Amino acid sequence: MTTGTTSVEVRRLSPAAAVIEVHGDITAASEPLLAEAYTRASDDGAKAVVLDFAGLDYMNSGGIGLLVTLLVRSQRQGQRLMAVGLNDHYRQILSLTRLDEAIGIYDSEAAALSAAGA
Amino acid sequence: MTFIESIRRTVGRGAKTVEPDAEPTVTAVPAASQTAPGPAVDIAPTDPLFAYLQAAPGVVDAERLELESAALAELRAGGVKVIVPLVTQGELIGALYLGPRLSDQDYSTDDRKLLSTLAAQAAPAIRVAQLVREQAVEIQARERLEQEMRVATLIQQQFLPRELPQLHDWQVAAYYGPARAVGGDFYDFIPLPDGRIGIVVGDVTDKGVPAALIMARTQSVLRGEAPRLQSPAKVLERANEILLPEMPARMFVTCLYMILEPETGRVVYANAGHNLPYVRTADEVIELRATGMPLGLLPGMDYPEHEAVLAPGQSVLLYSDGLVEAHDPAGDMFGFPRLKELMAVERPGSDLIDHLLDELHGFVGRGWDQEDDITLVALQRTGGREVALADHDPEHAGERVLLKVSLPGAAGNERLAMDRVAEAIEPLGLEPARFERLKTAVSEAAMNAIEYGSQNDPAIPVEIEAVVVDDDLVVRISDQGLGGPMGEAEEPDIDKKLAGEQKPRGWGLFLIKHMVDAMEVTTHGTGQTVSLILHLKGVDDGSQSVQG
Repeated sequence: MTTGTTSVEVRRLSPAAAVIEVHGDITAASEPLLAEAYTRASDDGAKAVVLDFAGLDYMNSGGIGLLVTLLVRSQRQGQRLMAVGLNDHYRQILSLTRLDEAIGIYDSEAAALSAAGA
Repeated sequence: MTFIESIRRTVGRGAKTVEPDAEPTVTAVPAASQTAPGPAVDIAPTDPLFAYLQAAPGVVDAERLELESAALAELRAGGVKVIVPLVTQGELIGALYLGPRLSDQDYSTDDRKLLSTLAAQAAPAIRVAQLVREQAVEIQARERLEQEMRVATLIQQQFLPRELPQLHDWQVAAYYGPARAVGGDFYDFIPLPDGRIGIVVGDVTDKGVPAALIMARTQSVLRGEAPRLQSPAKVLERANEILLPEMPARMFVTCLYMILEPETGRVVYANAGHNLPYVRTADEVIELRATGMPLGLLPGMDYPEHEAVLAPGQSVLLYSDGLVEAHDPAGDMFGFPRLKELMAVERPGSDLIDHLLDELHGFVGRGWDQEDDITLVALQRTGGREVALADHDPEHAGERVLLKVSLPGAAGNERLAMDRVAEAIEPLGLEPARFERLKTAVSEAAMNAIEYGSQNDPAIPVEIEAVVVDDDLVVRISDQGLGGPMGEAEEPDIDKKLAGEQKPRGWGLFLIKHMVDAMEVTTHGTGQTVSLILHLKGVDDGSQSVQG
C-alpha cells in the first residue's frame, strides 16, 4: 500500500505482537495509511505494536504529531507502542520531544519482543 | 637408416614456423659423409598433403603418393622418400622427412614399424615442448608489458598535481583515471603572479612509457613558460616551438590552457586541438570555443586567445577524450551530447565529477575495459563579489552566498527546500549529525512558510537563502505573510498531548529551535524571515546534548 512516497507493511511477529514496517516518508499526509495499518496490526488482539523505521527516509513534525496520535490510541487500547530501526538523527528527535519515554525504542525486533513479554 | 630431416611445425591456423633453436631434432646415425641437409619444407594448412598426413595411418611413401600438392612436389625434389607424420590428439604437429637409405635399399617393413613407433612416442613429447615454449614466450611478453605499464603509471603519478589549489569562492575538483595501458593524459594547476592560476588539461597521442615521457616533458615546458609569458596564446605558441624538434614521429599533444582570475571569474584561454571546455550558466551549457593545432606537429603555429567571465554559481569543465569516447557493451559512444546534458544539472565541483563518473560506469556496465585515460577538471564559482555588489544590501555585506532561490509555496515543497539547501552547503563539510539537524530545521521552517505564509498557494513564493557570514552559516527562509502573524505557540509537552490537553501536532517550531545553534525571526512588511544559524567554528564535537 502506498501514498505518495510512503508505504507500510504489517507483519505478525508473535500471537501478541505485530510489526508495521514503514518505508519512505512519515508526514501528516501519512495519517490515513498509518492509522489503517495500526488497525490491521491490532486486529488479532496484539498487545504490542512495533514500528520498524529501518526504511524511513524522512519524518517531519507532522510525522511526530502522527506518532503522538498513535501513542494516544495505543494507550487507550492498552497496547504497547515500540520502535526499532531508528537512525541516530530520529532517535535524537524522539528524545528531544520526550516521545522515547512513552514509545519504547529498541535495537532489534527481538529486543522489542522480549521487552514486551510478547 | 639415413639422416632424418629436421622437423618443422606446421600450425593449423596459419603458417608459423617455430624458430630453429626450438626445433626438436632427431639425428640418425650417419654411415658416411654424404648426409646432406634435406629440404626444410613447410606444409601450408591449405595444402592437400596437410589433410592427408593428418589422417595417414603411418609412414607415407612420398614417391608413390598421388596428390596435387606443392609441398609434396618440393619434398620429392629435395630427395625425400618417406614422410612420417607426427600426429597427436588428431593434430598434425610436424613430420619427419627421410631421404633414401644409405644402402640404397627400400625401407623395410621393420624400418617402417620402427619409424611409426618413434613418431607415436615423439609426437606428444614434441607437442608438450612446443606448448611450454609458447607459454614461456607469452609470459615474457606479458611481463614486459606490465613492467612498462608500471613505469608509465609511475611517471604519470610523479607529474600530476598532488593537491588541488585552494581558491576563495571556488570549488576545484580534478580526476585522473588511467586506462590499463596508461595513456598520456595530464592536468596541472600552475600558480601565477597576482593570485591567478593556470589550468592545463592535455592528452599525448600514444600510450605507455613514450606517451608518459612526452607528457612529463610537455608539463615541464608549460610550467616553465607559463609564469614568464602569461598569455595562454604565447605559452602554447612557445611550447609548440620547444616540443616540435623533440617530438617522436606520429606523436603530438593536444592541450587546453586557461588562466583563471579567481576574484573576478575572468578566464583567458587558448587551445591546441583539445576538447572544448563546457560552461554551465543558470540557463544553459555552452562551449568555450577556441581552435589551434596540437603541439609538436607543425612549426610557427598561432593560437587565438579567448576570454569569458564565470559568474557566481557557474562552473567550467575541462576534460580529455577518455570520457566522451568510452563505449558501452553495444559499442555506442558516451558522446558529447550526453556529457552536455549531464553538465546542465547544478552541482558543486566535486559532485559534478562524481556524478559524471557514476553515469559513465552505469553507461559502460560491468567488466568495462577502459580504453583510454580519463581526465576531468571542474571549477565552480561558489560565491563572489558580484552578488554582494548586486544586492546593494549593506546589512548583508561580506556574505558569501551559497544559495538564493525562490520556490512555489506549494505543500510538499519543504522537501525541495531542504534538498536545495543540503546541496548548496555540502561543500562546507558539516559534521553529519549537524548536517542532518539543519536539514530538518530547514524543512520545518519552509513548511511553516508554505502553510502560513503562502497558504499552500504555489503562486505565492517562499524565498530561501544560504550564506556564510563571518564564521556562521545562515539559512534564511522568508514568506509573504498571507496567513497573518503566527503568534506565540505554546511549548509542546508530550504529557499534555497524551492527556489530550494539547493537540498531537505543533512540534515544528520546537524542533527548529533544537536543531540549530540559534534561530531568529524578523518581519518585513506582512511577511517574516526565519534565520537558522549554525556556527562553523568553535563547535566542540558537533554532538548537541540530548535532553528533554
